[in-house]
Amino acid sequence: MSTWLAIALVSAAAFALRAAFIVFADPHRFPHAFRQALKFVPPAVLAAIVALGLGFPEGHVDVSPHNLRLIAGLVAIVAALLLRGSTIGTIGIGMAALWALQWLT
Amino acid sequence: MIAGCREMVPVLLGTMPFGFVAGVVAIASGLTPWQGLALSLFSFSGIAQLVTCQLVAARAPVPVVVAGAAVVSLRFLMYSAALAPHLTHLDRRWRALLAFLMTDQSFVSSVKRYSEPGDTGARHWHFLGSALTLYVFWQAAVIVGIVLGAQVPASWSLDFAVVLTFIALLVPAVRTRADLAAAIVASAVALATAGLPYRLALVVASIAGIGVGLAIERLHARRP
Repeated sequence: MSTWLAIALVSAAAFALRAAFIVFADPHRFPHAFRQALKFVPPAVLAAIVALGLGFPEGHVDVSPHNLRLIAGLVAIVAALLLRGSTIGTIGIGMAALWALQWLT
Repeated sequence: MIAGCREMVPVLLGTMPFGFVAGVVAIASGLTPWQGLALSLFSFSGIAQLVTCQLVAARAPVPVVVAGAAVVSLRFLMYSAALAPHLTHLDRRWRALLAFLMTDQSFVSSVKRYSEPGDTGARHWHFLGSALTLYVFWQAAVIVGIVLGAQVPASWSLDFAVVLTFIALLVPAVRTRADLAAAIVASAVALATAGLPYRLALVVASIAGIGVGLAIERLHARRP
């Protein structure tokens, strides 16, 4: 039951944020400082998700070379830089790196 | 409208695997197929869907799940403010529909269209074309992921594709030195606070990263 409640509230939040200025408020009343802060939402939030996904794989922090996901993730970051953020290329190279490392160890 | 659809074809190549993964992850996180489908149909945001699934799998309480999904969706506020001036001539229902369908990709595509010279009165059709195309194909990819999700063996480590999708989004989002500082600080804080319950680390680290990014930008602006 609580999962359904979470789904409803997450959907409502996603719509409220999208509609905030398009449907409800006047964007000219958007404070400048807030707009500046929003610019940093994508790099900060995405980096935090990536760091937790790579360095915290099984419920504990592991930033050693034994952490195959970390190594494969670093390979994928280099690939994303070279491919200018191509989603397919990054997923393909990252998965190939992880499978290769898992096969080697 | 057709031009808007067409513009999304190369974008679909990148988003359809993401949608597939979002469907697989919903099942892997313990959502029922109907819950996974409802989340996708109504929230229509890959990142919010994935974060919701992760937090539900971590058995976080409902307010934490909603806070996590809202933090990663804050960028929609920025898009909303940027698009709103172009849509003031439309009635409320049109604006609500376009807001509901707005995604990172259709935002980028429609902002580009609105910046071109010429009559802008009918460009909401272009927006609708691109956004609707993404919606239909996204949902199809999610459904395939939900249906096939249970059959993908765990040894394939397909959940790692989610992290890789975030890497593909993160790298182009880091454009300035302040962005880089925000990303590095957010990563470090995330790992330092990873032991906090209910993945609160995500919220703490995001706020720290945003704060550092802002501080660095202010310092730069003050320099002559």
